[in-house]
Formats: sequence, C-alpha cells, structure tokens
Amino acid sequence: MGDSPANPGRSQDAPAGQAISRRALLRAGIGGAGLAGAAAIAVSLHSATGPDTPGQLPPHVHGQHPMPTVVGEVDHARNGFHPTDILTDFDAGAVSQLPNGQTLHEYTILAQDKMIEIVPGLEYPAWTYNGRIPGPTIRVREGDRVRIQFLNGSDHEHSIHFHGVHPGNMDGVFDAASGVVGPGGKYTYEFDAEPFGVHLYHCHTSPLAAHIAKGLYGAFIIDPKQGRPKADREFVMVMSGFDVDFDGTNDFYVVNGIPFHYDHDKNPIRLKVGELVRIYLVNILEFDPANSFHLHANFFHYYPTGTSLTPAEFTDTIALMQGQRGILEFRYKYPGRYMFHAHKTEFAELGWTGVFEVEA
Amino acid sequence: MALIFGVPLVLLAVVIGVFVYTNGAGLNVRPAAPVETVQFGRTILQPGLIEIRLRNTSPEEIRIAQVQVNDAMWAHAIYPSRTIPRLGSAVITLNYHWVQGEAYEVTLFSANSIPFHTSIPVATTTAPASPATLWSFTLIGVYVGIIPVVLGMFWLPALKRIGARPLMFLMSATVGLLIYLGIDATTEALESGAELGDAFQGTGLVGIGIAGAFLLLDAVSRQQMTIGKSEAGQRMTLATMIAVGIGLHNLGEGLAIGAAYAVGAAALGTFLVVGFILQNITEGLGIIVPISKDQPAMRSLALLGLIGGGPAIAGTWIGGLLYSQPLSVLFLAIGAGAVFQVAYEIGKQMIWKDSARRHMPLTTFGGILTGMLVLYITGLAIK
Repeated sequence: MGDSPANPGRSQDAPAGQAISRRALLRAGIGGAGLAGAAAIAVSLHSATGPDTPGQLPPHVHGQHPMPTVVGEVDHARNGFHPTDILTDFDAGAVSQLPNGQTLHEYTILAQDKMIEIVPGLEYPAWTYNGRIPGPTIRVREGDRVRIQFLNGSDHEHSIHFHGVHPGNMDGVFDAASGVVGPGGKYTYEFDAEPFGVHLYHCHTSPLAAHIAKGLYGAFIIDPKQGRPKADREFVMVMSGFDVDFDGTNDFYVVNGIPFHYDHDKNPIRLKVGELVRIYLVNILEFDPANSFHLHANFFHYYPTGTSLTPAEFTDTIALMQGQRGILEFRYKYPGRYMFHAHKTEFAELGWTGVFEVEA
Repeated sequence: MALIFGVPLVLLAVVIGVFVYTNGAGLNVRPAAPVETVQFGRTILQPGLIEIRLRNTSPEEIRIAQVQVNDAMWAHAIYPSRTIPRLGSAVITLNYHWVQGEAYEVTLFSANSIPFHTSIPVATTTAPASPATLWSFTLIGVYVGIIPVVLGMFWLPALKRIGARPLMFLMSATVGLLIYLGIDATTEALESGAELGDAFQGTGLVGIGIAGAFLLLDAVSRQQMTIGKSEAGQRMTLATMIAVGIGLHNLGEGLAIGAAYAVGAAALGTFLVVGFILQNITEGLGIIVPISKDQPAMRSLALLGLIGGGPAIAGTWIGGLLYSQPLSVLFLAIGAGAVFQVAYEIGKQMIWKDSARRHMPLTTFGGILTGMLVLYITGLAIK
C-alpha cells in the first residue's frame, strides 16, 4: 500500500514519526490535517463512547472480536457474476467430434470493458473476459482440440495468451498474426490441449501489468486422459488483486473476483466431514512478487501445476509466483469453521480470505 | 429603481440557465476523473475505538465506500451518511484495538476508487473535557501568554532611566519584532490555509483576516487619537493598541498550542514552553515602551498585560475544545494583520513624530533589525 504522486486523491497529511518541532507542532494544530490526526486528539466535548456519540458502532457478530472486512455486499446481479458460482462453473464449451475422432471444444470469449463493484460501494473500471473476473474456467481433456473464437468488444487491443503447448501464432503476443486483436476485431485460437494439469490464460498486450491487473485472466484446466480419481467437491480458485487508485500497488487482494466473498459472515463454502475436496489454484496476482495459500486446521496433498498424479508435498501452506498454479486435495476430519487465506496477513486482511464451513 | 438594478442579474440567471441546460454550451465540461478532496478533522481515540471526522471539500458530493486501517479493510459505521454533500461532514467510527503510542494509517476509499489517507502518528486516548483538562489548558495559556508578557513589563523601571536615543532604539526594536511576528504568522496562516481544501480558499481567508484586522485596528486607533487626548493619553492608547495586536497574535498561538497539546505531553515538552516564554517576553517590553516616560497606574499596567497575554488562554480553549481548521487559519491571519497594524502605528505615532524633532535614522534601522534578529536567534535556539 504505497502512496505515489499518481494518487488522484489528495490528502493533507504530514508524514508520521517526524521529530515534532515547535513549528511543526503549531502547524499540526492549525489547519494541518497533518498531525491533525494526532492533534486532532484534542479534547472531545463529548466522550466518544458517551450516549451523544454521533457515530453508532459498526455492527459485528456478537461475542466475536472485530476482524478485517468490508461493510455490505456487492450487487452480484449487476456485476453479472457470482463468485460462489465461479467456484464450480467448469466450462467444457460446445463439444463435438472432429472427423479424425478428436473431441472439439468450442468457446466464444468476448473482451469487454465493464464497471465492476469489487467491494460494496466501489466500482472499478475493469477489463473482462465474458464480463466476469476471473474469465470462464476452460476445462478439457488432454489431447482434445480447443477452438476459441476471441472477440474484442473493448476500446483497447487485447489477446488471449494460454499457458500450455501450442504453435507460436496461437500465443497471443506480438501482432495480429499471433492473435493480438484490436477493438472490434476477432481471432480464432486453436490447438491441442497439452500437457494435462491446471493452467491459466491471460491477456498479453502491452502495457502488460495493466492488462492483467484490470481483470483479463482465467483458469485453464486440462484433465489427464484417464481422468483424476473422483473427488466429492472440485473448486477453482484464481488469486489476484485490484489496484483501484492506479498507483502500482494493490488495494485489494482476492480469490475469484470479489474480496472477502467467502468470508464467514458472507458466503462461506459449505463442506461435509470426510469429503475429498480438490482445489484448482491459480495465482495471477500483479504488482506483488508472490502469493500464498494457507488452509486452517488441516493439511493437503499438493500437485504443482497438476502435471503429475503423484503429490509432491503434504503441507498446509504453499507459495506461488505470478503464473504458478497447482492442485490441492484434502478432507476435513472435524466439523467447524476453518479459514483459508493468503499467509501474508496484508493480503488476507485486504480481501484474500475465506472460510470452509464443515458440517458433520 | 430596484427593477433597473435587477436587469443584469436576471440576464445572468438566463445565461447560467442556458449554460447548464446545454451542458456547457459547446464546451466539454465533464472532467475525465472526478475531483474529490476531503479535509480531515479531529480523530478521537477511546479504548478499542477510533472516530474520524472529515469534511467534503470537493465540488461534488462524495460517497465513502470502504475504510482501511494499516493495510486491513475494517468494519465501520458512518454518521450521518456514507454520502457526504459538498462541504458536509461525517464521522466514521471503527471498532479497533489500537495500541498506545503506535502509529496508524487510515485510508478511506470513495465510490470512485479515490483514496484519502489520514494518519494517527501517536495513538493515545483522547482526553475527555473535564475541569482538569480545562485547567491544564488554562495553565498552558498562562505560561506561554500572560507570564512572559507580564515579565517583559517589569522592564518599565529600567526604561524610565534611559535616554531618548536608547528609547528610540527600543521602539524600533518593537517594530522589528512585530514585523517578524507578522511575517511568521502570515506564512503560518498561508501554509495552514493551503491545507484547507479548495472550497475553503485558505489564501483568500488569510487575506480577509489580515486586511480586516489591519483596517479595523487602524480605524479604531484613528478614532481614539482624534478625541482630544493629552500626549500621555495618546501614548497609553498606543500601548493599548500594541497590547491588542499582540493579544490577537497570542490568541492564534494559543489556538495552535491548544490543538497540538493533545499530541501528548512529550510533544509539548518543557523545552518548548521555555521557548515560548523566551520569545514572548519581548512582547511585554514592546507594550510598555510607548508609556515608559509616563506614570501609568498599576491597574492600567495589569490590564495591558492581560490584554496582551490573556488571549493565549482563550486560544488554548478554542483550539483544544472547538477545533476548527478554517477558524484557526482565520485567527492566525487576524493576528498577523493586528501586529502589522501595530508596527505601522508605532512607526507613525512615535518614530516619525520623534524623527521630526530629532533625526536618528541609524538608531531606527539598528533597532528594527535588532528586533527581528532577536526573534530569529531565539527561534534558532528553540525550533
């Protein structure tokens, strides 16, 4: 959370922690909203906790200490997507058979500029794939043919760059011939899905940080030919952030588009004791060097990039760089409320936190 | 008659109506991004509670969407409303277990994603208004206002023994001192005024304060001087004017100290109080210089001391209890205007008049410069 001159909001602050000279002291007192914060401390005519306190106390759960959160709930209907649905809306596209026997998955993805209420009361001018953040979760089987018609309905050039193996002209990086599409244009990306694992796709147009940070990303899952062992519940979690004041640092951190969505007082994810839970986890967080995932009161088997059927690690915390992803598998032994969050407190307290509510 | 005067106003209303109705009459008047500014007021801290006051100083209403404390989003309540009209104010309340002596950064996000930052450099429980705190404020006012001014007046017997030239020197030194205080207060007022937010037009407010105080005191002194007093009476009037000017200046100073006092006793250490006493003792000297050859009654002297130093007490009360930033800027400016006027008055009444009898340009020059240098050097020592 740094400030930069680019901050459009003006505040009137003196840096904290300076030695306080007489002059500074005076300035603080007078008009200086600066130390005013502090200075401000002057004497209150009414006790802040007294009956004539103008501000009511914020509502919080009885008997629970105040935890970081946002106030209210975003208008999901107006946003046009619901993070609870995004957990499980794996999209196989329009499936058909090619003459050579190969399965074909056809998708249409539209790049769209859209105002999204990311936290209650705050709308962010996002760039989206199909009007949602993250974009659709593409899920196919290894060796299948993937055909994606990409339409650019945005005011800016965009592309889709898939992680995976494909020809250079399907990489979405350099020019029109490799899938960079101007406003109103279109392009068809087509390739065989390989290797199996959990991957991602995102826009690869310059300036890249903006094109990613504004919302152009999604999960791309390739199942192994023989499939994975059956899980009771499968979820997608795409970790990212939002820099709403454009100062090059994230103001909110998030999994699946809306900060705090899966929090205990909002939309916790309900599970049952003993269920095998599989999470396809993707990190596309811009600006910060790394992200992480921590599961409370439990351990999980971790399959980095999901490219092996043998877990590499049994742990409760993993770290991921931008673009890194993996598969987590776990079962809850006891009923209860369990947090999952970035094990970087700042990220968690700025939105990347959620709760599993496990019933017996 | 009234109708004729109304014609341009009616036409103006029509033009404004057309401009608004046609959305700028051909001009693109929509800003690319909303201009949003707020002015933070006092922050009140109670155990487990932070209360932030702010005023919307931007052209349009602002809606506060969310609140963040030290890199964590935080539940909060906003009274009376999340939507703050132009120049309207709001109080934000947070349940937050802050720690004594630590620093906090609070960020508000408007609905347009614009962040407003305010900091709590040193968290400490806000003292409730009580006879004890009122007494503390009074004491501060006495220490920085009344005591130094009255102490300075004890030079009176010494002044009686000095000749015309040293007296002229001291008079000039008083002028220098007042000019210095005036410049200092003006700068202070302008700096604080710049932080007020566009709507409050800090610089304009400073101009109003300085010009208003200067012209009012000037009018009062002209009136006083022309009601046929003896020369001694005129000199007493001048001393009173100096006391009023210095008093107004001390009001502004008291206001600042009162508001800042709550930062904690550590911030306003013994050292700073001693500094104020050192600088302000010269003010007492300045008040009595014009009447040094007269025989003022003790009552008059006490009254002069009270006029010169007492407002510091009132200032600490106002600053501490009724904290208002625009008002603070205005008071500082009034103080500046007052000391400028008094400097001018002394120059006119004493120095120029005496110069007509006996020309002492070097004494005047040396005096004024010395007055300014005294404040500069004491300032070097204590700032």
